[in-house]
Amino acid sequence: MDYRDTAEEAEFRASLREWLSTTIPAGWDKIEDEDEAVRLRKEWHRTLYRAGYMGLSWPEEYGGRGLSPVYDGILNEECGNLNAPPLPSVGYIGRAIFMYAGEEQKRRFLPPLLSGEVSWCQGFSEPEAGSDLASLRTTARLDDDHYVVNGQKMWTSGGQYADWCLLLARTDPDAPKHKGISAFLVSMTEPGVTCRPIVIASGEAETAEVFWDDVRIPVDQRLGAPGEGWRIAMTTVTYERGPADIGFIANYRRTLRKVEALAAERGLLDLPETRKALARAYVRGEVLRLNCMEQLSMRVSGRPPGPEGSVAKLLWADAEQSLQHLAMDILGADEMTGVADGWLSSYFTSRPVSVYGGSAQIQKNIIARMLDMPR
Amino acid sequence: MLALLSDEQQMLKEVAAQLAGSAGPANPGDLRTLDRDAAWRSLAQSGLLALRTRDDGRPAGSGVEVAVVAEALGAGLVPVPYLGSAVLATELLALAGAHDEAEALAEGTARTGVLLDRDLSALAVLPGDQTVYGWDVDGAADALALTAVPGGHQVVRVSLATGFTAANGADLTRTLLRSDGPIDAAALTPVGGPLSDEHLRRWEALALTALSADTVGVMRSAVARAVAYTKERVQYGVLIGSFQAVQHMCAEAYVQAEAAASAVNYAAWAVDELDPDEALLAARTAKVQCATVAREVTETVMQVFGGIGQTYEHIAHVHTRRALTDRQVLGDEGVHLLRIADVRLTGE
Ligand SMILES: Cc1cc2nc3c(=O)[nH]c(=O)nc-3n(C[C@H](O)[C@H](O)[C@H](O)COP(=O)(O)OP(=O)(O)OC[C@H]3O[C@@H](n4cnc5c(N)ncnc54)[C@H](O)[C@@H]3O)c2cc1C
Repeated sequence: MDYRDTAEEAEFRASLREWLSTTIPAGWDKIEDEDEAVRLRKEWHRTLYRAGYMGLSWPEEYGGRGLSPVYDGILNEECGNLNAPPLPSVGYIGRAIFMYAGEEQKRRFLPPLLSGEVSWCQGFSEPEAGSDLASLRTTARLDDDHYVVNGQKMWTSGGQYADWCLLLARTDPDAPKHKGISAFLVSMTEPGVTCRPIVIASGEAETAEVFWDDVRIPVDQRLGAPGEGWRIAMTTVTYERGPADIGFIANYRRTLRKVEALAAERGLLDLPETRKALARAYVRGEVLRLNCMEQLSMRVSGRPPGPEGSVAKLLWADAEQSLQHLAMDILGADEMTGVADGWLSSYFTSRPVSVYGGSAQIQKNIIARMLDMPR
Repeated sequence: MLALLSDEQQMLKEVAAQLAGSAGPANPGDLRTLDRDAAWRSLAQSGLLALRTRDDGRPAGSGVEVAVVAEALGAGLVPVPYLGSAVLATELLALAGAHDEAEALAEGTARTGVLLDRDLSALAVLPGDQTVYGWDVDGAADALALTAVPGGHQVVRVSLATGFTAANGADLTRTLLRSDGPIDAAALTPVGGPLSDEHLRRWEALALTALSADTVGVMRSAVARAVAYTKERVQYGVLIGSFQAVQHMCAEAYVQAEAAASAVNYAAWAVDELDPDEALLAARTAKVQCATVAREVTETVMQVFGGIGQTYEHIAHVHTRRALTDRQVLGDEGVHLLRIADVRLTGE
């Protein structure tokens, strides 16, 4: 057991820090305009890529560095420590492509995903298929060398900005519901794809609904075998749940520092209750970080992420939402009168953390199954 | 970075679990009949009491090994003073350079506990006329406290033979004695050399971590017992584990216990690997997490057992009592949150 960096890890961390301290775009977190923010995120993605910081744990043949996933963890940590813009989350789409794509597809799709040239969204959920994802109704009918897709997807986050989509559709209406689903890699610019933003409670267009009308997809853009879509989807969401994979810990630390500064500005640091609450927020972040380090270690030693990811997902949602409660308690009425701009939006953005990627209730169901409880 | 037990540590875990499995109660009634001395002897024979004695100035076993054993004994609700004698007292003696005295404890022939303040939150500083408790002192002739000396503290030994009476302690698996004082200077026997503040921070880091590891063990085994019960108990013609409300209670308790374990693992590693301030911050973090969830987790377990789980004859409350006492010893979450805030917010 050793939580310290190895010599190579320490060296990597040091040069990363130096690079970050001269490269992070000043004032990136003050940008109000959503399109501007999206542009900046894309640019940051390319900057990271050019410096070799994208796909650290990906095989070299697909543009990665072939390092252990521990390096992804270091990248996450340092970006958080130095207040860098959010890391692009290529991990879970990339993972699905790695694990299930043919050689040709890997060469075609992985490099531009990594470089940020092409951004992706995830078209799984539908209006009638949320937790019960396997009941999805969007169909892909084979027509010679194409599939023809029809249906409606909902909650396709980033759909309005994405170039490509990892899409789930039913290819065999007669098969049992988990077996008749296939996965596809589809361009969002195909004729018949219509995207409409969904504004969440924060007032921001965080996600989107996408209509698929007779969209033609070449057969060679099916990912995996026909009927393998469910397995692919489960792999994706399992990786999506690990907070270490998606830069959550970095974001949490950044927000905690902001909340601490908020309490200081408001002269609340002498109050024992505030001090305790801030310390508790620190402890929650630490517990989550340490839990993720253990999971990362298990992965490094060859165990794929399993239902333990549900533990981290629940801890993550709780930490994130509790931190927003704390900010709300510190700000009092100012969060409701518009004086403290942005915090109400952050609060509402924390709410769906316990909904997306499998709701908190679904995570508990998964844990109960892992504990082998009766069904 | 590799945050996993090594193969040897994994083996130690299995040895300790095996030992603990046969030495703890299945029912509260067993506490009257269990052979505690035999359990203590087998711990001594396996070398598990010697982890904090020094070999060439280095502890024979790291904080990780201590936590592994403490967790196993907590999981088994084993009624022996491992924490009191083999961890808290032995570490004090070793830090003070009283190596012969530490060795004597490791052999299992002598046992020594610690004296805590009236609120259990710190080692007692004597002489004084305050109330003090001898905590985890089963079979111990004496207990250790501190006395102030220029530039630091001195470890002192206090006989438990006079002035102490059995307290009505909540934890049925540990012995608690009480003295309402006064304990005057003549009753204090200095042991070893003086301790610096740094020594005491090191000691506190280990002590908090070992207590937290005990709590993790108590919680994990309680949750395991509850989950097992849901696979046996039938109501409405089905196993209660098939009810989602019951599943979610168990899942929540499981998540809390696992989260606490993650914090303890790091603190255990930090004890001997990081500087005292960092090690202590990690230990406080673990203690806060354990103290915060211990009550809820053990209460949830009692709830899953329904009516039978509320009775004195059932094992559930033995878990609750040990966890709630661990929570208080050397400070509950409120105490440590304020110390963490000092580090985070004032840079102390
Ligand atoms: C902001 C946001 C972004 C998202 N991004 C994406 C994305 O990029 N791609 C994508 O495909 N999806 C995305 N989602 C969709 C998300 O995965 C679903 O919302 C989620 O799976 C829940 O489905 P639902 O909304 O249909 O709720 P429902 O499944 O209808 O659930 C309603 C309530 O019932 C509970 N419930 C349902 N089933 C059970 C059960 N078996 N046991 C106990 N309780 C149950 C739920 O916990 C919830 O409280 C996003 C959602 C949001 C809000």
